[in-house]
Amino acid sequence: MENLKLTSLKGGDNRRTVITVDNVKIGEGFVVIAGPCSVESEEQTIETARKVKEAGAHMLRGGAFKPRSSPYAFQGLGLKGLKILEKAKRETGLPVVTEVTDPRDVSWVCEYADVIQIGTRNMQNFSLLREVGKVDKPVLLKRGMYSTLEEWLNCAEYVLTGGNLNVILCERGIRTFETYTRNTLDLSIVPSVKELSHLPIIVDPSHGTGRLSVIEPMSLAAMAAGADGIIIEVHCNPREALSDKHQAMPPDMFAGLMRKLQVLRSYMKEINQCKKVKTLE
Amino acid sequence: MNLKKIRENVELLDFKILKLLNDRMELALMAKRFKSQIEDKEREKELLEKIRRNSTRLINGEFIERIYIEIIEQSKNLQRKDYNLIAFQGEHGAYGEVASREWNSDLIPIPCSESAEVLEGVETGLYGYGVVPVENTLGGVVGQVNELLINTDLNVVGAVELPIHLCLLTLPGTDHREIRAVYSDSQALAQCRHFLARNKLEPVQYYDTAGAAKMLAERAPKASAAIASKLSAELYNLEVIKEDIEDLDRNMTRFLVLSKEGNTEEGDKCSIIFSTEHKAGTLFRVLEVFARQDINLTRIESIPHEPGNYAFFMDFMGSERDDKVVRALEEVEKITSTLRLMGCYKEKKVV
Repeated sequence: MENLKLTSLKGGDNRRTVITVDNVKIGEGFVVIAGPCSVESEEQTIETARKVKEAGAHMLRGGAFKPRSSPYAFQGLGLKGLKILEKAKRETGLPVVTEVTDPRDVSWVCEYADVIQIGTRNMQNFSLLREVGKVDKPVLLKRGMYSTLEEWLNCAEYVLTGGNLNVILCERGIRTFETYTRNTLDLSIVPSVKELSHLPIIVDPSHGTGRLSVIEPMSLAAMAAGADGIIIEVHCNPREALSDKHQAMPPDMFAGLMRKLQVLRSYMKEINQCKKVKTLE
Repeated sequence: MNLKKIRENVELLDFKILKLLNDRMELALMAKRFKSQIEDKEREKELLEKIRRNSTRLINGEFIERIYIEIIEQSKNLQRKDYNLIAFQGEHGAYGEVASREWNSDLIPIPCSESAEVLEGVETGLYGYGVVPVENTLGGVVGQVNELLINTDLNVVGAVELPIHLCLLTLPGTDHREIRAVYSDSQALAQCRHFLARNKLEPVQYYDTAGAAKMLAERAPKASAAIASKLSAELYNLEVIKEDIEDLDRNMTRFLVLSKEGNTEEGDKCSIIFSTEHKAGTLFRVLEVFARQDINLTRIESIPHEPGNYAFFMDFMGSERDDKVVRALEEVEKITSTLRLMGCYKEKKVV
C-alpha cells in the first residue's frame, strides 16, 4: 500500500480520526444512521425520521439524487428532496446524510446536508472526489462494488489531499458469484481497514445483503467486527417504497435491532476489556 | 417559439395582470379618503370612454367595457368595506410589509418608495398607520428615519422586532445549477457573502430586496436569482431555492408603527424624544432620573438636530400608567428643553 500518505496510520501513531457532526461523534462509540433509500415525499421522510429517532438512531439517511441501474427507474426528487431532508432535520434534530452524484451539485448539497455520500458507483469518479475534497462537510465514501481495499483507500486519499480530512469509509458489499444475497458483505474489510487507516469505517448491511432477513444478523456482526457504525434502510411503509423495497426494514423491526445492538455493545465492551488484559500480560 | 414557451409567457402575463389589478384596487382604497361618496357616475363614464378609445382589433370596445364594469364594481365593493391602510417603505414583499403583517394582519399594506412618504401619508390621513425601520443588529441605526421622527407629531402605537431571514429565489423551474447572477440590495448581498462565494454566484446590486424579486418575476432574466423575503416568493410566484442563507443568524430589524391617534391599549414599553441644554451634565441628569426610579432603558440614540444640538431618542420598559414612569417623566420635563412622549405600546417579538 504505497502513496497513502494521508489515509494510512502513521508508524507508531495510533490516533484515529473522530468526526463530529452536530452532537454525533463518528469514530467513537457506535453510530446508527437510518432512513429511507429515497426521499419520496415529505410525509414518508418525516414519518420515517420520527420513527428511527424514537428507536434511537443518531442520524438520518435519504437519497435525493439517485444513481439507478435503469434510466427508467425513479431518479429521486433532486433539490425538492434536499428541502424535505432539511425539514426532517428541523423536525427531529437528526443530522442528514445524502448522496451527491454530480460535481455541479456538490456545493448545493452541502447547503442542506450534514454529511455527503459518494455512492458505490461513483467511488472512482475522480472529478466528483476532487469536488468533495474542497468542501467543509464530512464525506461518507462507499466502497465500489468491484473494488479492492487499496483502490478504495486511494479514493479516500483523493478527498483528503483536496483538504477535506473528514472521510468516513463504508463497506456495502461486493460482487461475488453468490446470487442469493444481492452482494456479499465483506466484513473482513472492517478489521483490515482498522489495521491500515485511521479513518472510521461503518457498514451498510442493507445493500450488503439486499435481504431483509439477513440484515439484522449482519448488523450485529458488523458491531462485533469492530465497525464504528451502520447505515441502514428503514421505510415507514416498505411495501410502497419506490426503490429497494426488498431490503427496507419496517420501523418496529428496526427498533428491535436497536435493542439487540445495545445488549451486544455491553458484551463487546467486556470482550475488548479482555483483549487489553491479555496484551498487558 | 413552441407551445410550452408560449404557455410560459401566457402565465407570466396573467401574473402581471393580477399584480396590476391588485395595484389598481390599492389605489381605489386610497382614493376613498378623498371622496365624500363612493358612487361617481361622471367619473365612471369618463373612464369607460377613455378605455373604449384604446380598443384594438383583438380587444374590442364591447369586450373591454364588460371587463371594466366588473373592475369598477369590485373597486366600489372594496371601498364600501372599512379597510384600514398601513404604509411601508419598499415594494410589496419588503421586510416592512412582513413587519406590518406581523403587527396586524387585518390592515392592508400599501407600498411607498420613501420613508418620508410613509410619514407624510399618515400625517395627511391617507393611511391609518405607517411602519418604519429604526434599527438593525447588523446595519445599525436607520439614520434617515430617525431624522424624520424628530420632526413628526405622530404617535408610536406599536413596535415589531423582526428576524430577517433571507431566501434565495428563482423563477419556478429554474435549474439551481444554472444560476449565475443574484440580485438584491447591497446590505442583503453583504449578509450572504459566504453563501454566494461557496456556490460561485455573482452578486448584482439592486435598489431593494423585494424590488429584485419583482424584477425577476417581471423580466425573467436568464440564469438569475434574487435574495429577498419568503413573502416576496409568495407575492411574485417565485420558488424558494434555499431559506436562511444569511451568514449570521442574529439579524434583526426593529420597526415602529406610527399613527395620528394615540394608543388606547395598555403598553409595556415607552418611547420619548427630548433635547437638553448645551451644558455639562444635562444628559447625565436625565439618565440619573431613570436609574433612581429603577426603569430599564432599552435604547438611547442621539441625533444631530441643529449644529451643536442633539435630540435624544430613548425607549424604556414600563407603562405610562406606572407611578414610577409618571414620576420620572415629571422630573425629566423639568431638566430638559423639550420632551415628548411619543407613545406607550406593546412590542411584538417575532420568532
